[in-house]
Amino acid sequence: MKLVEALEAVERNLPAESPLLNVQLACGFTPLHLLTFLNAHLRSQFPEHRIEIAAGLFGDLAGNLERAEGVDADAMAAVIEWQDLDPRLGVRALGGWAPRHLDDISRNVRDQALRLGHLLEKISRSRTVAVALPTLPLPPVAFMPGWQAGSFESGIRAAMAELGVRLAGLPGIRLASAQRLDRISPPSARLDVRSDLSAGFPYSLGHADALAGLLARMIRNPSPKKGLITDLDDTLWMGVLGEIGVENIAWDLDHHAQRHGLYQQMLASLAESGVLIAVASKNDPALVEEAFQHTGLILPRERIFPVETHWGAKSESVTRILRAWNVGADSVVFVDDSPLDLAEVKAAHPGIECVVFPRDDDKAVYQLLEHLRDLFGKQALSEEDTIRLDSIRSAHAAADSVPAAGFSPERFLEQAEGKLTLNFDKNSGESRALELINKTNQFNLNGKRHTEASWKRYLSDPQVFFVLASYEDRFGPLGKIAVIAGRHDGSRLTLDHWVMSCRAFSRRIEHGCLLRLFEKFGAEEATFDFSPTLRNGPLQTFFAGLMGATPEGSFLLRRDQAVEKSPPVYLEIRESAHE
Amino acid sequence: MNDAEARLSRCFMAAVPGLKRSEIPAASVQTVERWDSVASVTLVALIEEEFGIQIELEALDRLDSYRSILDYLNALPARDK
Repeated sequence: MKLVEALEAVERNLPAESPLLNVQLACGFTPLHLLTFLNAHLRSQFPEHRIEIAAGLFGDLAGNLERAEGVDADAMAAVIEWQDLDPRLGVRALGGWAPRHLDDISRNVRDQALRLGHLLEKISRSRTVAVALPTLPLPPVAFMPGWQAGSFESGIRAAMAELGVRLAGLPGIRLASAQRLDRISPPSARLDVRSDLSAGFPYSLGHADALAGLLARMIRNPSPKKGLITDLDDTLWMGVLGEIGVENIAWDLDHHAQRHGLYQQMLASLAESGVLIAVASKNDPALVEEAFQHTGLILPRERIFPVETHWGAKSESVTRILRAWNVGADSVVFVDDSPLDLAEVKAAHPGIECVVFPRDDDKAVYQLLEHLRDLFGKQALSEEDTIRLDSIRSAHAAADSVPAAGFSPERFLEQAEGKLTLNFDKNSGESRALELINKTNQFNLNGKRHTEASWKRYLSDPQVFFVLASYEDRFGPLGKIAVIAGRHDGSRLTLDHWVMSCRAFSRRIEHGCLLRLFEKFGAEEATFDFSPTLRNGPLQTFFAGLMGATPEGSFLLRRDQAVEKSPPVYLEIRESAHE
Repeated sequence: MNDAEARLSRCFMAAVPGLKRSEIPAASVQTVERWDSVASVTLVALIEEEFGIQIELEALDRLDSYRSILDYLNALPARDK
């Protein structure tokens, strides 16, 4: 982005009623163009939000952090440069670069790193903090030639690495990747000495743009994709199975097919991180199963579900896979070496992200791996990530285990041994709750989303109650699957949020939750802040079943209505404050 | 308006919020209140980015109006803009 484009973007105003995103920019230099670029990138990342950015005082990063802590904000971008750790590591101070100064500079760097780390940790408890550790080159302070790193340079870089390790382990902090920044902003083109000396702004425009883009993306924290559908021939392995046979497909160095092995390795890693992996291949099913059973693929067969192999259109396979996963196409990536198949799938499922697996191009495959990591990358792994595939597979196993003739859904539910655990502890710091609020579409009361800061603010209201529901039955655990939040006032409940994972449908969990809420709070009626959305049809159907008609907006439901219209609930419901 | 004038006008409109297109030809530090130190630094950065040049420090003091900046740009050798 050019500066002129950033300034023009910043000038475009949204309506005053648009939600506000309040961001603090903490740095020790004049924020100048970094602030402009950050504003423009945040507008791009949050197109429906008005953006307000507050910056601190020149030359006082630690003071800016201390002052920022007491100010309410949604997020912070904190940029640490060498001069914030010791002014002698910048070009605006003349404190001395003599060899006798080096130990003192090193000490200062370590002390200041500890102090900044402590401040950032405190701030990150109340808002998301995107942090960049020093991005500028070290000035020629030490006595060694520039091509050699001595103990001074190595020591202060180690101090920064230690600070990075400490910060990266904190849940509220997102640390900018130095490696990614190196790629988008070459280190030798970052420092603008003239601008630093004349205006106190040390960055070239290109670097300010790149760093601001990275910070804005970390504040946005886009939702990762949920599933990947892969082709087999010349994608998961090299070779066409039907032509060369099981024994001749390859994915290793010896066969010049390592790029396919790396791709398998990435899929195995994604699968262990909770990403759903499926296969859509025009192939002989028996041959494919033989390949999976006898070739020792790096991606284990049990990590793949479902496997769609036939000679029909790939889009049909994708339709069935999406149905099995119960996720939308826009949460899924399809990888295939055939541009024709990619186009056919894209035409049938416009929301899906189609990615070509490059043929005979190791460099392009490596870039594909990096792209996949970006699409599926997440902040932390949760219990739900480890059980997601098993719970989907269990649901299908359960469906398959039911004999078609004489099947009674009622008896099936009765025998499922469903257990619903409700956690009412709103201070548990459970990130899964916000994830469900922001990712769930089908069973969602109103489609309202939260930033991390607005969610924390909402929960801090003493009137607000919160429920995080977990479920398991004899087919296995589903993990944390529903969130309800609202207020209670005497005999009335007001529900602001109610979301439930689509994996938990058809178990009457929603009925169980509702009836238990009435009971727990002794409420006789509940008001639901309902709004119809394009995708919350399942929730609308649920309420239509209780009320006899689909609501059109906020509505009131009496307890006796809910009790009368609810079907039998066969769940063992218990409460836990420390689930 | 020639190409350089159009590009320079865009820089002015971006650097000095609220400045109308019609006010640009007569704009100077003395006549435009919002042309403050931040606007000056931003304007220099915009012009350098837009025209791919680096303005000499000695020239900065006399570049205090649209006209003077346009004259400065027009006086540069063709390869510099």
